[in-house]
Amino acid sequence: MTRRVVGLVVVLAIAWGGLAATIALGFTPRLGLDLQGGTAVVLTAPEGTDPELVEVSVDIMTRRIEDIGGVQEPDIAISGDNTVVVQLPGVEDEQRAIEAVGQTGDLSFRPVLDAFPGAIGPLAGAGTPGIDNETGLTIKDDINDDAFLLYPADFGSEVLFVGPAGMVGEDVADAVPVFDTQSASWAVSLDLTSDGAVLFAQMTAEAATYPLGDPRRQIAIVLDGLVISAPQVIPEGGITGGRASISVGTGEDSQQAANDLAVVLRYGSLPVAFDISAVQKVSATLGSDSLQAGIIAGLLGLALVAIVLILIYRSLGLLAIVGLTVFGSLLLMIFGLLGEFQGLTLTLAGITGIIVSIGITTDSYIVFYERLKEKIREGYEVDEAAEEGFRLAYRTILTADTVSLLAAVLLWLLAVGAVKGFALALGLATVLDLIIAKVYTRRAVGILAGTSLGSGGWFSIKGASQ
Amino acid sequence: MSTWSRLNRGETEIDFVGNRRRWFTISAVLLVIALGSLGIRQLNLGIEFVGGLGMQAPNPAGADVPEIREALGVVGVDEATIQLLNDGEAVRVATPVLDGATENEAVDALASVTGSDRVDISIEAVGPSFGALVARRALIALGVFLGAVVLFISWRLEFKMAGAGLVALVHDLVITLGVYSLFGFPVTPATMVAILVILGYSLYDTVVVFDKVEELVELEEKSSYSEIVNRAMNSVLARSLATSLTSLLPVGSILFVGSVILGAPTLRDFALALFVGIAAGTYSSIFVAAPILATWKEKEPEWQERAKRASGRPKAGMR
Repeated sequence: MTRRVVGLVVVLAIAWGGLAATIALGFTPRLGLDLQGGTAVVLTAPEGTDPELVEVSVDIMTRRIEDIGGVQEPDIAISGDNTVVVQLPGVEDEQRAIEAVGQTGDLSFRPVLDAFPGAIGPLAGAGTPGIDNETGLTIKDDINDDAFLLYPADFGSEVLFVGPAGMVGEDVADAVPVFDTQSASWAVSLDLTSDGAVLFAQMTAEAATYPLGDPRRQIAIVLDGLVISAPQVIPEGGITGGRASISVGTGEDSQQAANDLAVVLRYGSLPVAFDISAVQKVSATLGSDSLQAGIIAGLLGLALVAIVLILIYRSLGLLAIVGLTVFGSLLLMIFGLLGEFQGLTLTLAGITGIIVSIGITTDSYIVFYERLKEKIREGYEVDEAAEEGFRLAYRTILTADTVSLLAAVLLWLLAVGAVKGFALALGLATVLDLIIAKVYTRRAVGILAGTSLGSGGWFSIKGASQ
Repeated sequence: MSTWSRLNRGETEIDFVGNRRRWFTISAVLLVIALGSLGIRQLNLGIEFVGGLGMQAPNPAGADVPEIREALGVVGVDEATIQLLNDGEAVRVATPVLDGATENEAVDALASVTGSDRVDISIEAVGPSFGALVARRALIALGVFLGAVVLFISWRLEFKMAGAGLVALVHDLVITLGVYSLFGFPVTPATMVAILVILGYSLYDTVVVFDKVEELVELEEKSSYSEIVNRAMNSVLARSLATSLTSLLPVGSILFVGSVILGAPTLRDFALALFVGIAAGTYSSIFVAAPILATWKEKEPEWQERAKRASGRPKAGMR
């Protein structure tokens, strides 16, 4: 008996204390953009696109979105083989969001006019127009302008002042990462079209008039306003013949770096021509209305269920209500933690999933209580009836919950969009239901059976069985 | 003893299997209406499935439907479904697939006619192929789910129970879709989710009943299968009704809060399907799945034999 009471107190402490701790630490569930407002864009790559290229595109999109600024916690996820779902909470200008993620950007090769070493960056942000305080140079956001200041993509030590484009992405025929066994270093082998070969020869010949080590001997490879690489032209007189090799380095990351550079050179900004499949924008007002509606509906539903449970099951109903708060606390705690550490968001579909699971978890109590009443009518003592009833009921609950869990897992794996959020809530709730039945319900009812609420009066277990 | 008390004690004596003709007739009528409506009126598929542009805007200028239609017509959008929400406080517009530029103009046109700020307009634009993808994925999930469930119930209980459960499930599905078709409610991804829940729910309910049947089969060696099913049904009836009530209450409150009080359309779409489906699911596990199972099982020689013996003895507890 005392062991049971201790066990029960521990369970309640974990659930309620855990929720309080999670909230105190600020790990409240992250809201999906249908609840807080924002824009979502679904992009589809052509059938049969190399999954690796889709991943590369996602990296590029992430960087571009950081450039928009003011986006809290953008979420870009690959769904299935060729679909990318971009979620931008708080972004209310859907046109700008579409441009940022969907458009193939500009790749250009530009002469370097000057370089500013030292800790200059980060400045106002790449491509943001204005005067830079430290260099006094004008930052322009128009890529076709004659001269402008650019940051290296890695926000490294150098800011470059570059001239108009001497060659563009279309002039590149191919680019592949290569390993030079002699120098044991990685490089990118660049192949140009015939037009590109002429332009490149002109550009590099111009650069080669400056001495080695002069910044003006560099050619900047610029993608969407960022310098991806700025190699120095080695041969005197420039590079002719439409072939070039850009050395990357010998370090451990060099293979990856060479690979990334080759991809950028080959495909420009986005290696895949995405089709914009769906755009969803939820205004902040509609989002908060939905959240409010979800919470009110949940609380109202819970209150109605509580009344019914007490009317039918009396003191047992009261235990079920406490159990529902344990269930709710654990679920909120899990969503809070998953939001904090896995970036998982709680959507409207998720909230609905939780409300629906109130029904499922309540049913577990009902199945158990009906069994218990049946055993009492068969003449069992209240405490024996509780044990025996639980054993029989758990079998049923396990079978029925397996069906629900099966549904949740399959939906999670196979479906897209809102259905996924729902599946997650349903799946978590089902697992919690099974655990709570074992660790909470069984103990709590066992303890209740031993008190005066076991067999005395209208409100007791026996009272509910008559 | 009052009906409530008998129900509470599991001592009702409703002859579920014997009256099967009555239940099957009710179900058949409902199914014919549902299928007829699906055939004639079909389903009103939301833009998420067929593609198109959906907008929801506040309406401070109090624009009415003809005004909005005219404003959209100016930018070349001739075909649109326009709905006023909450007594004209907000509007909802759905159009077929538009190209990017027209889409943008349509949003601007709606903003100016309703006197609302562009950022306050919620937008949902879906390309036709993506809508088809979503629908296809959902159907695949559904097919795999049904297959897995049949296997699971066959293994855990028995194959004929899986079959009877499946019939009940299809019954609920057709009736729910029929209600959508009959009233022209739009079918959205939220509806799809709700329908999948109904499937799970319907099975869950059926499993609880069949689990009890399985238990009684082992205990009662003298009874016929119909008698066993009847006894199982009567003893779980209180559970079925209590569960349906506690499941319908939260769903009902979503429906009420979502549509009546706050006008959140997603919630309403969702809850409506759930409400109809859960109601149908409760009915079908009692009045469809169980009688079908009994009918099917009684065809087995062993049970025919037992039914003959059982009918020879006086029935206990007859009125």
